[in-house]
Amino acid sequence: MAYVIAEPCIDHTDQSCVAVCPVDCITADTMVDRKFYIDPDGCIDCGSCETACPNAAIFRVDQLPSEWADFARVDATWYRDPAAARAVVDGLAPVA
Amino acid sequence: MQTATVGRAVSSVPVPGSDSAPNATLSGRVDLTPTIAHFVVRPDDGAPAFVPGQYLALGLPVDGRLLQRPYSTASKKGTRDELDFLVRLVRDGAFTPRLWHLDVGDRLRIGRPKGLFTLCPEDPRRHLFIATGTGLAPFVSMLGTLLRESRPPRAIVLHGVSHVGELAYRDRLERWAADAGDISYVPAISRPNHPANADWRGATGRIDTALGPLCDALDVDPAETVAYMCGNPEMIAAGERILEARGFPRDAIRSEHYWPAGSPARA
Repeated sequence: MAYVIAEPCIDHTDQSCVAVCPVDCITADTMVDRKFYIDPDGCIDCGSCETACPNAAIFRVDQLPSEWADFARVDATWYRDPAAARAVVDGLAPVA
Repeated sequence: MQTATVGRAVSSVPVPGSDSAPNATLSGRVDLTPTIAHFVVRPDDGAPAFVPGQYLALGLPVDGRLLQRPYSTASKKGTRDELDFLVRLVRDGAFTPRLWHLDVGDRLRIGRPKGLFTLCPEDPRRHLFIATGTGLAPFVSMLGTLLRESRPPRAIVLHGVSHVGELAYRDRLERWAADAGDISYVPAISRPNHPANADWRGATGRIDTALGPLCDALDVDPAETVAYMCGNPEMIAAGERILEARGFPRDAIRSEHYWPAGSPARA
């Protein structure tokens, strides 16, 4: 996994990252999801999303702040089991 | 290519690697040097609508997966059939060595136009385009589009390369500078002492040393100029510092990194 979307994305979903991702590997069901998710198998490590994000929510996995380390598994989980990923997000950032 | 969601819900989770069949043909290729080449790609369904400055992912199958890399197109807005890309070969890269093996007629995958580093054609300010290497491509698209607009553009193109043979689009830019509106084209060679550059009589030095004198020579007014920079992230960082020190407002400097700062180029 090259890049990860962390806590600052939650409930913001600006979508600039989607607009710049050259390989369309950033996705969400915007009717349900509280954040976007990067497909670790599709990411080509270009860094465009990190630069574009107005919320500073995207990090290289090896530069992910420790307080958001759990998000490294959330994105990958979403592509296998969206419900499980959403549950983790809700646990990390309960709905206000 | 997978489904991406912009302002609407997806009905299902996309499957990584799906929709990866070739959908375009390499219709032309011109090798400028052993490591710099134009690749002309003809999408099966015609060129998609794009905004000058955007990039598209080119893809090739590798071990059963689609390996993709994004490249800015140099084609001007409204191009209907073929798209022009300027690519540098990175010999130890995963993608470009495979791209270099393609011949005209070979098949490949092309993605959708993406990116927010785009031309605002109605901006009345003078355009200062600053590029290193293949970072020139989006500016050829932008300037070609501006030239087709009714208002003659006011533009400066500063293109930095190591060797003269890497000055892609040189003939076209020299023609535009000679024939059209208020356009200045300034190629700069960073290795003037290299034997391949022995006949070079133009500007020399890296972009970060050439930019300041260029702004003085061409009377660049920060208050009525918008700067676009593309290519090497270290060049962009240096260029931003120079322009800000000269009084450019931060929102008058736009940039596109061709790879993440502090990381090697992936190609």
